[in-house]
Amino acid sequence: MKRFLPKSLQGQMLLAVALALLVAQGIGASVAYRAQLEREDNGIIHSLAFRMIGGRILRDDDGREMRPPPGRPPRMGRLLRMAETPLRESDHRNHAFEDKLGRILAAQGFVATEIQVFERDTSDTVLGRFIERRRALRGDGRGDPKSIVVAAVRGQDSNEWLVARTLRDQREPRFLRNLILQTLLIYVVLIGVIALILRQITKPLAALTRRVEDFAANPTLGPDGRVEPQGPLDTRSLIAAHNAMEARIGTLLDEKDVMLGAIGHDLKTPLAALRVRIESVDDDDERAKMAGTIEDITRTLDDILSLARVGRPSDPQEPTEISALTASVVEEFEDMGEAVELGDTTRIVLSVRATWLRRAIRNLASNALRYAGGACVTVEKRGKLAVISVTDNGPGIPEDELDRMMEPFERGDPSRNRGTGGAGIGLALARAIAEQHGGSLVLENRAEGGLRAEIRLPL
Amino acid sequence: MNETQFPDRILLVDDEEALRDPLASYLAKQGFHVRQAESAAAARTMLRDEPADLVLLDIMMPGEDGLSLCRHLVEAQKTPVILLTARGEATDRIVGLEIGADDYVVKPFEPRELVARIRSVLRRASRAEAAPTMEQDYMFENWRLDPLKRRLTDPEGALVAISSAEFRLLRAFLDHPRQVLDRDRLLDMVQGREAHLFDRSVDNAISRLRRKVESDRTDPQLILTVRGGGYMLAADVSRVDPVSA
Repeated sequence: MKRFLPKSLQGQMLLAVALALLVAQGIGASVAYRAQLEREDNGIIHSLAFRMIGGRILRDDDGREMRPPPGRPPRMGRLLRMAETPLRESDHRNHAFEDKLGRILAAQGFVATEIQVFERDTSDTVLGRFIERRRALRGDGRGDPKSIVVAAVRGQDSNEWLVARTLRDQREPRFLRNLILQTLLIYVVLIGVIALILRQITKPLAALTRRVEDFAANPTLGPDGRVEPQGPLDTRSLIAAHNAMEARIGTLLDEKDVMLGAIGHDLKTPLAALRVRIESVDDDDERAKMAGTIEDITRTLDDILSLARVGRPSDPQEPTEISALTASVVEEFEDMGEAVELGDTTRIVLSVRATWLRRAIRNLASNALRYAGGACVTVEKRGKLAVISVTDNGPGIPEDELDRMMEPFERGDPSRNRGTGGAGIGLALARAIAEQHGGSLVLENRAEGGLRAEIRLPL
Repeated sequence: MNETQFPDRILLVDDEEALRDPLASYLAKQGFHVRQAESAAAARTMLRDEPADLVLLDIMMPGEDGLSLCRHLVEAQKTPVILLTARGEATDRIVGLEIGADDYVVKPFEPRELVARIRSVLRRASRAEAAPTMEQDYMFENWRLDPLKRRLTDPEGALVAISSAEFRLLRAFLDHPRQVLDRDRLLDMVQGREAHLFDRSVDNAISRLRRKVESDRTDPQLILTVRGGGYMLAADVSRVDPVSA
């Protein structure tokens, strides 16, 4: 049931208006309906009373009562005088009408000892059948079925019944139809107006939603794409507040970039000085160790700076051939005499940030080197993914720690000694870079032993 | 070379004295004549007094930054420049090379590598005094090599990563298309500039280059092996203006 309810502001609002309108119309209609019924009843009673009091009994010149010619019913407007009450066993007396009629007659000085009011279908009376027939002859046949209300009154000290009759129009279903038509008309007009107003509200909201989504995906967006404050005051303030927040985030990110640049510069210059100074160390072994340490520090520093910048890269993506890129990273390791080899590769052209992807592959390979002593790197197309895998024959990672390994500063060996690793940021950075490209980093233990790290990028 | 007689004059521009001092004395030990400037303004004054054969220039400096001075040096004085940069981001390097720096090194650098690059740039400068600073791109079989940015793109326009050794090897082939180049000649053309970056065998470098430009490495179509010991680029080469990006 719930899923049929509209989700949007516009839908919910329109539904609420429709329901409220329906309830209001319903109440109004029932009041009007009752009023009409009462009016109709009063009309009938008054008509009966009028005929009863003012109705004349037609008499001929001799003062004898005129009877209708044989075969014709007595006329509707005429008051009849009867010896017996016309009430039959099958008739239902309408006591409310009798009371009212009695009161009206009494007020006019007509004291009745007995009043009987009942209603009959037209087809049940001679007069009714006559009227129907006449109507049909006049082509007035669409007339609704009617009934005849009959009032019989016996006056004081009289044995005769005075009988008056009147026609009642059957209550028509047209009344309900009118109500529905009226409701629909109001609804159409209202929906039009409300939709116009809602559009004023929801259009800027939709624009703002799109902007927030874009900004969440890429906080480097410039102020050009910002939504102009528009719509009603509430929406306007929301948009203005969002724009202010966007500007603030932009400033923070800019400050962060400047700060990181400064940190990089401030730390790397003394490192460079140190690197120059150790050239004066005569002991070759000692100098090589020092150079190695400086290189470690530099690499860790680069990783930290990269991790901080990975969500906001300054270089654009460009179409790059992935296997050549992977090969060039592997070759760097080969040149240093490290046991990283290139396995099968496929030519795949993807739009990437080459420096970043290169760093991710390099980190995965260094990791494999560090923990397994060697690595094999392959590039393949798998379904809609380009997969760069780095496999090793090392001890792998316990299954329950696989996810944790990709968090910054996590390492398989909690001792954090320099012999087995750096600051443990390599995998986190590789994952962040894969995600920067819309892909993912997947770590899994191989059945034949060792770890497989895959950078999966969407084609 | 006759370094003792006419030492190459190097101007080292960096605002960090902690780096300037040891680097200057290291370079002096390597036989260069080194002067130091702590800012771009000081460098301009010193160059007015006496020109330099090469300027080592830090990009990030207070006041006028290295890139601005670099543009001036390359355009007005035709002095070779090697940029020292703390950031390793590709954009920095490309900007540096685009405005005409001859090379760049990322801090912290290995001093020996810096010396090798200084020598390489000086040699290139003395060999081609009047070389145009705006170099045209090489086109071959719809591949494109931008010699300035060292970017190789394949016929589809995709960037193909090559190392600096592979770049020099490819460039040697592109300068001599359809000519058989034997190993010694290639080694000479390529190694002459930065020996430390090309300490592998020529065959190894050829194999790596093929890995990147041949669609089937086992059946090379572009870089052919010639019986009797040599290689040849089997393609016509044209020069076109760089794509303005």
